[in-house]
Amino acid sequence: MPPRLPHSDPGIPDTRGPARYLWWLVRCQWPRALRGSVVATTWMIGLALRPYLIARAIDDGLRTGDWPALLTWVAAILGAGVVLAYLGIMRHRTMTFLREDATARSSQVLLRHVATLGAVLPRRVPGGEIATVCGTDISQTSWALTMVGPGVGAVLAYTTAGFVLNAVDPVLAVVVLLGVPVVALVVGPLLNKLQGVDTRYRAELGVLTTRAGDIVSGLRVLAGVGGRDLFARRYAERSQLLLRQGYRVGDIMSWVQALTVGIPALFLAAVVWLSARMAAEGQITVGELVAVYGYVAVLAMPVWFLLEGGFMTVRGLVSARRIIAVLRLRPDDAGATGTGPAPEGRADLHDPDSGLTVPAGLLLGVAAENPADAIALADRLGRYVPGDVTWGGQPLTGLDLAEVRTRILVAEHDSHLFAGTLRDVLRVHDGVTEAQIGAAIRTASADDVVESLPGGLDAPVEERGRNLSGGQRQRVRLAQHLLAEPEVLILLDPTSAVDSHTEARIADRLHAHRAGRTTVVFATSPLLLDRTDLVAYLREGRVAAVGTHEELLHTEPGYRALVARDAEEPQTDAAAQVGALR
Amino acid sequence: MKMLPVADRATIRGSVAELARDEKGPLGVTLVLHLAAAVVGLAAPWLIGRIIDRVIGGAGAGEVDVLALAIGGCVVVQILLSRTAQNLGNRVAERANARLREDFVARTLRLPVSVVERAGTGDLATRSSVDVATVGNALRQVVPTVLISAIQLVAILAAVFLLHPLLGFVVLAGAPSTIAVARWYLRRAPQAYLAEGDATSRLTETLTATAEGARTVEALRLARQREREGTARITDQWTTRRATLALRSVFFPVVEFSYALPAAAMLLAGGFFLGNGWLSLGAVVSATLYSQQSIEPLDRIIIFLEQAQRGGASLSRVLGIGLVPPEPRGVATAPPGQALVVRGARFSYAGGHDVLHGIDLEVRPGERLAVVGPSGAGKSTLARLLAGIDAPREGVVSLGGVPVTELDPAERRRRIALVTQEHHVFIGTLRDNLAFAAPDATEDDMLAALAAVGAGWYGDLPDGLDTELGDGARQLNPADAQQLALARLVLADPHTLILDEATAALDPTTARRTERSLGAVLEGRTVIAIAHRLYTAHDADRVAVLEHGRISELGSHDELVRAGGAYAALWHSWHGDKA
Repeated sequence: MPPRLPHSDPGIPDTRGPARYLWWLVRCQWPRALRGSVVATTWMIGLALRPYLIARAIDDGLRTGDWPALLTWVAAILGAGVVLAYLGIMRHRTMTFLREDATARSSQVLLRHVATLGAVLPRRVPGGEIATVCGTDISQTSWALTMVGPGVGAVLAYTTAGFVLNAVDPVLAVVVLLGVPVVALVVGPLLNKLQGVDTRYRAELGVLTTRAGDIVSGLRVLAGVGGRDLFARRYAERSQLLLRQGYRVGDIMSWVQALTVGIPALFLAAVVWLSARMAAEGQITVGELVAVYGYVAVLAMPVWFLLEGGFMTVRGLVSARRIIAVLRLRPDDAGATGTGPAPEGRADLHDPDSGLTVPAGLLLGVAAENPADAIALADRLGRYVPGDVTWGGQPLTGLDLAEVRTRILVAEHDSHLFAGTLRDVLRVHDGVTEAQIGAAIRTASADDVVESLPGGLDAPVEERGRNLSGGQRQRVRLAQHLLAEPEVLILLDPTSAVDSHTEARIADRLHAHRAGRTTVVFATSPLLLDRTDLVAYLREGRVAAVGTHEELLHTEPGYRALVARDAEEPQTDAAAQVGALR
Repeated sequence: MKMLPVADRATIRGSVAELARDEKGPLGVTLVLHLAAAVVGLAAPWLIGRIIDRVIGGAGAGEVDVLALAIGGCVVVQILLSRTAQNLGNRVAERANARLREDFVARTLRLPVSVVERAGTGDLATRSSVDVATVGNALRQVVPTVLISAIQLVAILAAVFLLHPLLGFVVLAGAPSTIAVARWYLRRAPQAYLAEGDATSRLTETLTATAEGARTVEALRLARQREREGTARITDQWTTRRATLALRSVFFPVVEFSYALPAAAMLLAGGFFLGNGWLSLGAVVSATLYSQQSIEPLDRIIIFLEQAQRGGASLSRVLGIGLVPPEPRGVATAPPGQALVVRGARFSYAGGHDVLHGIDLEVRPGERLAVVGPSGAGKSTLARLLAGIDAPREGVVSLGGVPVTELDPAERRRRIALVTQEHHVFIGTLRDNLAFAAPDATEDDMLAALAAVGAGWYGDLPDGLDTELGDGARQLNPADAQQLALARLVLADPHTLILDEATAALDPTTARRTERSLGAVLEGRTVIAIAHRLYTAHDADRVAVLEHGRISELGSHDELVRAGGAYAALWHSWHGDKA
């Protein structure tokens, strides 16, 4: 029975340990898991049916020349073929459903967790780690569930074969049942060694693939400066290393491949020898001799499943551990867990560390000497880091975080653009109307972005806005942040990547768009600062002066040097070095 | 966006034939050994048949012992033969693989820039990672397995034919239904699995993006939207996986049932042959065992067919890169002059309307020219024409009287360098990252270049020039990376520099630091700066204002300000003067 995916409620995962997590994935769908075990066991035992039926056809039909008997057994072989085909596909479907149910469940709990975790996530987990968890670990965890079906089936089939052979001859049963684990012990260490060299091969292959990708992403740089031959040579050298590593893998791999076929064949030869002697002495019939041959040949299947299944389980446990590590992360409340109500209506924000006061309802420009100070200040104002910021006189840390997020928006310079149509990107919540979108696009001067994309607002925007230019991305972000309509909007360098013409337009429109609401613009562009109500000049992390752009230009030489680029450039280390070189 | 080409069947056949020709010897030995191993592998069922005949004939244990020992001996020989064959075959595959990937990278490096830019690097990146890996996997696993299985199958058929020619056809009893369903499956499988792979990587991308943009999700309160988006991707993944499962649900049962047919047919035929006294019981048993034995290689071929198909598709994409004509070698000898002149240049991107409408511009050696104008005016296009990356549709761009597109690309790059906001730190040491720009540069040259651009961070590097940089090693921040790019330019030493918004992607303060480093690079060169920051224009000797694909104003900063046109208006507002 196919599951209904995605799950309406994926449930609460058991994150106490990797094995418990795997067990949780099974427990959530235990009837299907049970069905998988039953079908897989039946199928695997059924595989022994064909050798048995062939043996009966030989004994009862061919040897005695009894046509009706022969026809009956041949019909039985065909019938068994139909049943086995049916069982086989039922096993495959049930196991696929079992794995897919688990895959969707893991994806959903991860999705739910990652979406609600917030800013703490990138700080605690490196980006590549999440990509591995989502790309590899989810599916490997699901593959471990294979053990539930064919794994159980293999154990039962193996036991059954023991009983059947025991009925033919106890000695044969002992040889077969002890022999198979012996084979596993012989091939096992070889497999271990193979895994070792293969891991190194894959690592080297990974290096080479990264190199090729590196060259591809640097192609335009190479085109500008030259030097392609050097890279072709470097790559070829590395490729030859991989070639030699490949030879090493092949040396062992070829033994594994030859022995995994050869050792069972040797084993089969021994069994044939034993049973042929018995047949020669009349202890068993010729048909039974053929059947024993068939049974032993078929036993390879459960043994293979057990080896493979054990491997998958080990890998699945490792993967489950990494999934749990993400699921165990808890949001951090930036130093406090306040629940107090936020001030109603307009209120000033004040940051004692820098001495900055954000007056309610105005457009405030902040020009910082050091960009790092600007980022730190913005983070304090938005409570992304602990601080002593007050809002309407109340400490920000004492307020309910969700409410702070709703009412104060810190719009980062490089905030993430998610994939979707341009309209999806701009509709930051369901209440956004077309008219609002139009107004925000106008303010952000992003009309040409809409026009240049085929399909306008319905055009797809790729992840991180990769199909947009730097300037287009920045304006789409600005429109998006305007559409969030927060009471306090804190913008970081919102126009650094657009040309002066466009910047002038944005500066003009931003003031009108945010009229009556509090807006803070961190920037050093005179075009933008000129259109603010008030500017705070930040030096060494402290507010050094407050006034209009015009006032500060005349009263603060440092401010003038920072924003008006025609002034004498301050001597910095780099400038001094350049000077020394001349 | 124009896609990169894909190789057709003839190209693939030619390339495969070439690989096989070069490996003629080892490949031949491998095939012969595999064939020998397969033939020896046939001994067991035949010997079992003999044993049965002897047992029925009343032979004693001694005779049975000899035959059983022979089975064991054959197995040992088979192990040795197939191990050697596998090892040799693996080496052939590894060599072919190395050659394909090295060719691929060499050809990628020879691609003309305009082709790379128009196709985007996404397609190339996929080919260099996914496709090269898929071809590699096919060569290492799929091709050998299919080849060995085919040899085994042929050997089995031959053995049955030897037992009795008519019986050979009986082994094939399962073939018609297997082939029919395989054809049905293979026609549908590639698209279905492609869709499945797409859906899976899109889900991964959505999850990863949600994690990477976690702060944005929190700031803009997008959690519900992200969940909705992710859930939609999970739905897509499930839909595509059900589609492939539906295909397998037809394919697997038919194939598995077909496995019963040869044994059944063989028993019936055996009964008939036996009744007529044409064959012994032992021979019939051997033939039946052979028909059972044929299942495994057939099974493997079928399992790998789909992967082989995927390997073929990837190979056509890998070889497709070779179909792009490489950058033309120059036809003109390098000119001594340095004057860069544009005459009546018009340009349009493939099929579109003109972006530049007749540009006339003379850049004097040693001058600094700033090009300003609104987004979309054609500034970057002009930069590309000047750098010789694109040729004008009409008109000409010449350096010292020679059209730039007729210069040898390497020669051209030595004279004119285009610097964009794209900077890239290659994987490798700092030395590698500098050396490619000027292979003959000494260590002192490199240190001087770093000092010239004010790369103060050099002092913090643990191993100096031998510090590993790039993906997976030490990461440079954007400003440092831009300085590295500038140090390369100092080493490459072109007489003309075209700066296309070289600092636009940096935050303003960093951009200013970089501009200062740039000052060192610009010394004594002709500079054409495409800029949206007007202070660049202020410092330039001349300013060109580009609007709607035409140069609307041209002159020194002071002249243009005095003229009171578009530039003057912009300058006043930017400068903070009240107009």
